[in-house]
Amino acid sequence: MTTAAQTTDEGRIEFLHCFFSAATHEASAAMCRWTGGMISMRLDEVREIPLEEVCVEYDFGSDLLTMIVLSLQGELGGDMILTFDEENGRQLAATLLHRPVADEPEWTALEKSALMETGNILGCAYMNALTKLVGTQLVPSPPTFLQDYGASVLEQALMTQAMTCDKVLICRTSFERQGEELNWNVFFVPSDALRAAMRNAIEN
Amino acid sequence: MSAIAEAKKTSPVNTAGMGQAVVGRAGNSLVAVLGSCIGVAMYHPRHHIGALAHVVLPDSTNRSGTPAKFADTAIPYLLQLLKSEGVGSAGLVVKLAGGSSMFASTGPMQIGAANFQAVVKALESVGLRVSGQHIGGPKGRRVSLDCQTGQLLIEVAGTAEATL
Repeated sequence: MTTAAQTTDEGRIEFLHCFFSAATHEASAAMCRWTGGMISMRLDEVREIPLEEVCVEYDFGSDLLTMIVLSLQGELGGDMILTFDEENGRQLAATLLHRPVADEPEWTALEKSALMETGNILGCAYMNALTKLVGTQLVPSPPTFLQDYGASVLEQALMTQAMTCDKVLICRTSFERQGEELNWNVFFVPSDALRAAMRNAIEN
Repeated sequence: MSAIAEAKKTSPVNTAGMGQAVVGRAGNSLVAVLGSCIGVAMYHPRHHIGALAHVVLPDSTNRSGTPAKFADTAIPYLLQLLKSEGVGSAGLVVKLAGGSSMFASTGPMQIGAANFQAVVKALESVGLRVSGQHIGGPKGRRVSLDCQTGQLLIEVAGTAEATL
Protein backbone atom coordinates (compact mmCIF):
# COMPACT_ATOMS: atom_id res chain seq x y z
CA MET A 1 0.00 0.00 0.00
CA THR A 2 1.24 3.46 -0.81
CA THR A 3 -0.19 6.26 1.27
CA ALA A 4 -0.22 10.00 0.98
CA ALA A 5 -2.57 12.64 2.26
CA GLN A 6 -4.08 15.76 0.80
CA THR A 7 -7.40 17.33 0.10
CA THR A 8 -8.14 16.75 -3.51
CA ASP A 9 -10.98 16.37 -5.97
CA GLU A 10 -11.70 13.41 -8.19
CA GLY A 11 -9.85 14.89 -11.13
CA ARG A 12 -6.72 15.33 -9.05
CA ILE A 13 -7.04 11.77 -7.79
CA GLU A 14 -7.12 10.60 -11.39
CA PHE A 15 -3.89 12.47 -12.07
CA LEU A 16 -2.35 11.12 -8.89
CA HIS A 17 -3.37 7.67 -10.01
CA CYS A 18 -1.28 8.28 -13.14
CA PHE A 19 1.65 9.42 -10.95
CA PHE A 20 1.56 6.39 -8.71
CA SER A 21 0.86 4.02 -11.61
CA ALA A 22 4.02 5.20 -13.32
CA ALA A 23 6.05 4.86 -10.11
CA THR A 24 4.59 1.43 -9.40
CA HIS A 25 5.33 0.31 -12.95
CA GLU A 26 9.00 1.31 -12.60
CA ALA A 27 9.27 -0.30 -9.17
CA SER A 28 7.61 -3.47 -10.45
CA ALA A 29 10.07 -3.71 -13.33
CA ALA A 30 12.96 -3.29 -10.89
CA MET A 31 11.53 -5.93 -8.55
CA CYS A 32 11.14 -8.33 -11.48
CA ARG A 33 14.79 -7.87 -12.42
CA TRP A 34 15.97 -8.18 -8.80
CA THR A 35 14.00 -11.35 -8.11
CA GLY A 36 14.55 -13.04 -11.45
CA GLY A 37 11.02 -12.36 -12.66
CA MET A 38 9.27 -13.74 -9.58
CA ILE A 39 7.88 -10.60 -7.90
CA SER A 40 5.70 -7.96 -9.55
CA MET A 41 3.62 -5.03 -8.27
CA ARG A 42 0.24 -3.60 -9.22
CA LEU A 43 -1.49 -0.35 -8.17
CA ASP A 44 -5.00 -1.42 -7.17
CA GLU A 45 -6.71 1.80 -6.08
CA VAL A 46 -6.29 5.45 -5.15
CA ARG A 47 -8.90 6.90 -2.80
CA GLU A 48 -9.37 9.57 -0.17
CA ILE A 49 -10.81 8.78 3.28
CA PRO A 50 -10.88 10.38 6.74
CA LEU A 51 -7.88 9.44 8.87
CA GLU A 52 -9.99 7.73 11.54
CA GLU A 53 -11.45 5.34 8.95
CA VAL A 54 -8.07 4.03 7.81
CA CYS A 55 -7.84 1.38 10.53
CA VAL A 56 -11.42 0.29 9.80
CA GLU A 57 -10.89 0.04 6.06
CA TYR A 58 -7.41 -1.46 6.23
CA ASP A 59 -6.94 -3.85 9.13
CA PHE A 60 -3.26 -4.33 9.81
CA GLY A 61 -3.95 -6.24 13.01
CA SER A 62 -1.57 -6.08 15.92
CA ASP A 63 1.09 -8.51 14.69
CA LEU A 64 4.73 -7.60 14.45
CA LEU A 65 5.93 -6.81 10.94
CA THR A 66 9.35 -6.57 9.36
CA MET A 67 9.96 -3.26 7.63
CA ILE A 68 12.46 -1.47 5.46
CA VAL A 69 12.31 2.33 5.77
CA LEU A 70 13.75 4.85 3.32
CA SER A 71 13.49 8.58 3.96
CA LEU A 72 13.67 11.15 1.19
CA GLN A 73 16.55 13.54 1.62
CA GLY A 74 16.57 17.20 0.66
CA GLU A 75 13.83 19.82 0.57
CA LEU A 76 11.16 17.46 -0.73
CA GLY A 77 11.01 14.95 2.10
CA GLY A 78 8.90 11.93 2.82
CA ASP A 79 9.06 8.30 3.91
CA MET A 80 8.73 5.01 2.05
CA ILE A 81 8.11 1.88 4.09
CA LEU A 82 8.12 -1.66 2.70
CA THR A 83 6.48 -4.14 5.10
CA PHE A 84 6.37 -7.94 5.25
CA ASP A 85 4.96 -10.40 7.72
CA GLU A 86 7.51 -12.79 9.23
CA GLU A 87 6.78 -15.62 6.81
CA ASN A 88 6.99 -13.51 3.66
CA GLY A 89 10.07 -11.60 4.81
CA ARG A 90 11.92 -14.80 5.66
CA GLN A 91 10.85 -16.38 2.37
CA LEU A 92 12.12 -13.45 0.35
CA ALA A 93 15.46 -13.39 2.17
CA ALA A 94 15.88 -17.14 1.66
CA THR A 95 15.07 -16.85 -2.04
CA LEU A 96 17.49 -14.00 -2.60
CA LEU A 97 20.25 -15.78 -0.67
CA HIS A 98 19.56 -19.16 -2.32
CA ARG A 99 19.22 -20.74 1.12
CA PRO A 100 16.50 -22.63 3.01
CA VAL A 101 14.10 -20.46 5.02
CA ALA A 102 15.76 -19.67 8.37
CA ASP A 103 14.07 -20.92 11.54
CA GLU A 104 16.12 -18.91 14.05
CA PRO A 105 14.08 -16.19 15.82
CA GLU A 106 16.78 -13.57 15.28
CA TRP A 107 17.38 -12.25 11.78
CA THR A 108 20.97 -12.60 10.61
CA ALA A 109 22.89 -9.64 9.21
CA LEU A 110 22.80 -11.29 5.79
CA GLU A 111 19.01 -11.71 5.87
CA LYS A 112 18.57 -8.09 6.93
CA SER A 113 20.92 -6.99 4.17
CA ALA A 114 18.92 -8.92 1.54
CA LEU A 115 15.69 -7.18 2.58
CA MET A 116 17.33 -3.77 2.83
CA GLU A 117 18.69 -4.15 -0.68
CA THR A 118 15.19 -5.08 -1.86
CA GLY A 119 13.82 -1.92 -0.27
CA ASN A 120 16.61 0.09 -1.80
CA ILE A 121 15.95 -1.21 -5.31
CA LEU A 122 12.21 -0.73 -5.03
CA GLY A 123 12.52 2.71 -3.45
CA CYS A 124 15.07 4.02 -5.94
CA ALA A 125 12.99 2.86 -8.92
CA TYR A 126 9.86 4.43 -7.40
CA MET A 127 11.62 7.73 -6.69
CA ASN A 128 13.23 7.81 -10.14
CA ALA A 129 9.78 7.62 -11.70
CA LEU A 130 8.40 10.34 -9.42
CA THR A 131 11.50 12.49 -10.11
CA LYS A 132 10.70 12.47 -13.83
CA LEU A 133 7.09 13.49 -13.14
CA VAL A 134 7.76 16.13 -10.48
CA GLY A 135 10.87 17.55 -12.13
CA THR A 136 12.92 17.62 -8.92
CA GLN A 137 15.38 14.92 -7.96
CA LEU A 138 14.14 12.71 -5.13
CA VAL A 139 16.99 10.92 -3.35
CA PRO A 140 16.17 8.20 -0.81
CA SER A 141 18.35 7.62 2.26
CA PRO A 142 20.10 4.29 2.85
CA PRO A 143 17.51 1.72 3.95
CA THR A 144 16.86 0.92 7.62
CA PHE A 145 15.64 -2.46 8.93
CA LEU A 146 12.86 -2.34 11.59
CA GLN A 147 10.58 -4.80 13.36
CA ASP A 148 7.45 -3.33 14.91
CA TYR A 149 3.64 -3.40 14.96
CA GLY A 150 2.13 -2.74 11.53
CA ALA A 151 -0.61 -0.48 12.86
CA SER A 152 1.96 1.59 14.80
CA VAL A 153 4.01 2.13 11.68
CA LEU A 154 0.95 3.01 9.61
CA GLU A 155 -0.09 5.50 12.29
CA GLN A 156 3.33 7.10 12.41
CA ALA A 157 3.59 7.23 8.63
CA LEU A 158 0.24 8.99 8.35
CA MET A 159 0.98 11.42 11.17
CA THR A 160 2.98 13.80 9.00
CA GLN A 161 -0.13 14.39 6.89
CA ALA A 162 -2.61 14.13 9.77
CA MET A 163 -1.06 17.19 11.34
CA THR A 164 -2.37 19.33 8.48
CA CYS A 165 -5.11 17.32 6.72
CA ASP A 166 -8.31 15.61 7.88
CA LYS A 167 -8.31 13.11 5.03
CA VAL A 168 -5.62 10.81 3.70
CA LEU A 169 -5.07 9.60 0.18
CA ILE A 170 -4.70 5.83 0.13
CA CYS A 171 -2.96 4.16 -2.79
CA ARG A 172 -3.27 0.41 -2.44
CA THR A 173 -0.55 -1.64 -4.10
CA SER A 174 -0.45 -5.42 -4.27
CA PHE A 175 2.51 -7.73 -4.80
CA GLU A 176 2.47 -11.04 -6.62
CA ARG A 177 4.89 -13.92 -6.77
CA GLN A 178 4.29 -15.92 -9.94
CA GLY A 179 0.58 -15.06 -9.89
CA GLU A 180 0.08 -15.56 -6.14
CA GLU A 181 -0.68 -12.49 -3.99
CA LEU A 182 1.85 -11.76 -1.25
CA ASN A 183 1.35 -10.15 2.15
CA TRP A 184 3.65 -7.23 1.41
CA ASN A 185 2.77 -3.54 1.56
CA VAL A 186 4.35 -0.27 0.53
CA PHE A 187 3.56 2.98 2.30
CA PHE A 188 4.72 6.15 0.62
CA VAL A 189 4.11 9.33 2.60
CA PRO A 190 5.34 12.52 0.91
CA SER A 191 6.04 15.65 2.91
CA ASP A 192 3.97 18.80 2.49
CA ALA A 193 6.65 20.16 0.13
CA LEU A 194 6.56 17.09 -2.07
CA ARG A 195 2.77 17.11 -2.08
CA ALA A 196 2.89 20.72 -3.25
CA ALA A 197 5.39 19.78 -5.97
CA MET A 198 3.08 17.00 -7.13
CA ARG A 199 0.13 19.40 -7.17
CA ASN A 200 2.16 21.86 -9.25
CA ALA A 201 3.15 19.11 -11.67
CA ILE A 202 -0.49 18.11 -12.07
CA GLU A 203 -1.65 21.70 -12.63
CA ASN A 204 1.08 22.29 -15.20
CA MET B 1 -28.11 0.49 23.37
CA SER B 2 -25.29 1.55 25.70
CA ALA B 3 -21.65 1.50 24.64
CA ILE B 4 -20.92 -1.47 26.89
CA ALA B 5 -23.92 -3.43 25.68
CA GLU B 6 -22.76 -2.80 22.15
CA ALA B 7 -19.23 -3.90 23.05
CA LYS B 8 -20.39 -7.09 24.75
CA LYS B 9 -22.58 -7.89 21.79
CA THR B 10 -19.61 -7.85 19.45
CA SER B 11 -16.54 -9.23 21.24
CA PRO B 12 -14.84 -9.45 24.64
CA VAL B 13 -11.85 -7.72 23.01
CA ASN B 14 -12.63 -4.25 21.70
CA THR B 15 -10.06 -2.37 19.67
CA ALA B 16 -9.77 1.41 19.53
CA GLY B 17 -8.46 2.42 16.12
CA MET B 18 -7.11 5.90 15.36
CA GLY B 19 -9.51 8.52 16.69
CA GLN B 20 -11.81 5.95 18.28
CA ALA B 21 -12.86 5.22 21.89
CA VAL B 22 -14.22 2.01 23.36
CA VAL B 23 -15.84 1.17 26.70
CA GLY B 24 -16.06 -2.16 28.53
CA ARG B 25 -16.68 -3.84 31.88
CA ALA B 26 -15.33 -6.91 33.69
CA GLY B 27 -14.63 -9.57 31.11
CA ASN B 28 -13.76 -7.06 28.40
CA SER B 29 -10.27 -6.10 27.24
CA LEU B 30 -9.79 -2.79 25.48
CA VAL B 31 -6.92 -2.78 23.00
CA ALA B 32 -5.03 -0.21 20.92
CA VAL B 33 -1.89 -0.37 18.80
CA LEU B 34 -0.05 2.93 19.17
CA GLY B 35 2.77 4.81 17.51
CA SER B 36 2.98 8.52 18.18
CA CYS B 37 -0.67 8.55 19.29
CA ILE B 38 -1.62 8.39 22.96
CA GLY B 39 -3.78 5.69 24.49
CA VAL B 40 -5.83 7.19 27.34
CA ALA B 41 -7.12 4.49 29.68
CA MET B 42 -9.71 5.34 32.34
CA TYR B 43 -10.86 2.77 34.87
CA HIS B 44 -13.18 2.77 37.86
CA PRO B 45 -12.08 0.16 40.44
CA ARG B 46 -15.45 -0.10 42.17
CA HIS B 47 -17.59 -0.38 39.04
CA HIS B 48 -14.99 -2.41 37.07
CA ILE B 49 -15.72 -0.30 34.03
CA GLY B 50 -13.00 1.00 31.74
CA ALA B 51 -12.63 3.18 28.67
CA LEU B 52 -9.81 3.60 26.17
CA ALA B 53 -9.31 6.42 23.67
CA HIS B 54 -6.80 6.43 20.79
CA VAL B 55 -5.83 10.11 20.59
CA VAL B 56 -4.15 11.17 17.32
CA LEU B 57 -3.60 14.93 17.59
CA PRO B 58 -3.35 17.56 20.34
CA ASP B 59 -5.89 20.16 19.27
CA SER B 60 -9.29 20.09 17.52
CA THR B 61 -9.29 23.78 16.59
CA ASN B 62 -10.39 24.20 12.96
CA ARG B 63 -10.23 20.45 12.43
CA SER B 64 -12.87 17.83 11.74
CA GLY B 65 -13.03 14.31 13.03
CA THR B 66 -14.28 12.09 15.80
CA PRO B 67 -14.15 13.41 19.39
CA ALA B 68 -11.58 10.80 20.43
CA LYS B 69 -9.20 11.97 17.69
CA PHE B 70 -8.08 15.11 19.55
CA ALA B 71 -6.74 15.44 23.10
CA ASP B 72 -8.94 18.42 24.00
CA THR B 73 -12.16 16.65 22.95
CA ALA B 74 -11.20 13.05 23.82
CA ILE B 75 -11.12 13.56 27.59
CA PRO B 76 -14.63 15.07 27.87
CA TYR B 77 -15.84 12.39 25.44
CA LEU B 78 -14.44 9.55 27.59
CA LEU B 79 -16.07 11.06 30.68
CA GLN B 80 -19.34 11.31 28.77
CA LEU B 81 -19.12 7.66 27.71
CA LEU B 82 -18.44 6.56 31.29
CA LYS B 83 -21.22 8.78 32.62
CA SER B 84 -23.65 7.11 30.21
CA GLU B 85 -22.73 3.86 32.00
CA GLY B 86 -23.38 5.41 35.40
CA VAL B 87 -19.75 6.14 36.25
CA GLY B 88 -18.73 9.60 37.41
CA SER B 89 -15.24 11.06 37.35
CA ALA B 90 -14.67 10.62 41.11
CA GLY B 91 -12.38 7.67 41.77
CA LEU B 92 -11.32 7.22 38.15
CA VAL B 93 -7.81 5.86 37.59
CA VAL B 94 -6.08 7.26 34.49
CA LYS B 95 -3.12 5.70 32.68
CA LEU B 96 -1.37 6.79 29.49
CA ALA B 97 0.78 5.03 26.89
CA GLY B 98 2.21 5.84 23.45
CA GLY B 99 3.79 9.02 22.11
CA SER B 100 6.71 7.32 20.40
CA SER B 101 8.88 8.78 17.63
CA MET B 102 9.57 5.96 15.20
CA PHE B 103 11.15 7.64 12.16
CA ALA B 104 13.25 10.20 13.96
CA SER B 105 15.26 11.10 10.86
CA THR B 106 12.49 12.94 9.06
CA GLY B 107 9.25 12.21 10.86
CA PRO B 108 7.12 14.40 13.08
CA MET B 109 9.54 14.26 15.96
CA GLN B 110 7.51 16.33 18.39
CA ILE B 111 3.99 15.09 17.74
CA GLY B 112 4.19 12.28 20.29
CA ALA B 113 5.36 14.65 23.00
CA ALA B 114 2.80 17.27 21.96
CA ASN B 115 0.02 14.68 22.16
CA PHE B 116 1.14 13.65 25.64
CA GLN B 117 1.30 17.21 26.92
CA ALA B 118 -2.11 18.04 25.48
CA VAL B 119 -3.68 14.95 27.06
CA VAL B 120 -2.20 15.77 30.48
CA LYS B 121 -3.44 19.36 30.17
CA ALA B 122 -6.94 18.18 29.22
CA LEU B 123 -6.98 15.76 32.15
CA GLU B 124 -5.87 18.47 34.57
CA SER B 125 -8.62 20.76 33.31
CA VAL B 126 -11.21 18.27 34.57
CA GLY B 127 -9.35 17.52 37.80
CA LEU B 128 -7.87 14.14 36.82
CA ARG B 129 -4.29 13.05 37.44
CA VAL B 130 -2.24 10.41 35.65
CA SER B 131 -1.48 7.44 37.89
CA GLY B 132 0.79 5.61 35.46
CA GLN B 133 2.41 6.25 32.10
CA HIS B 134 4.57 4.51 29.48
CA ILE B 135 5.52 7.24 27.03
CA GLY B 136 8.05 7.99 24.29
CA GLY B 137 10.85 5.91 22.78
CA PRO B 138 11.39 4.73 19.20
CA LYS B 139 9.02 1.73 19.14
CA GLY B 140 5.29 1.15 18.74
CA ARG B 141 3.16 -0.30 21.53
CA ARG B 142 0.26 -2.71 21.84
CA VAL B 143 -1.75 -1.83 24.95
CA SER B 144 -4.57 -3.77 26.57
CA LEU B 145 -6.78 -2.55 29.43
CA ASP B 146 -8.25 -5.36 31.56
CA CYS B 147 -11.64 -4.06 32.72
CA GLN B 148 -11.72 -6.59 35.57
CA THR B 149 -8.44 -5.54 37.20
CA GLY B 150 -7.73 -2.12 35.67
CA GLN B 151 -4.25 -3.28 34.68
CA LEU B 152 -2.85 -1.79 31.49
CA LEU B 153 -0.60 -4.32 29.75
CA ILE B 154 2.00 -2.79 27.45
CA GLU B 155 3.86 -4.76 24.79
CA VAL B 156 6.81 -3.27 22.91
CA ALA B 157 8.55 -5.17 20.11
CA GLY B 158 11.74 -6.79 21.32
CA THR B 159 11.30 -5.95 25.02
CA ALA B 160 9.63 -7.49 28.06
CA GLU B 161 5.99 -6.69 28.74
CA ALA B 162 5.19 -3.93 31.23
CA THR B 163 2.10 -3.51 33.37
CA LEU B 164 0.76 -0.25 34.76
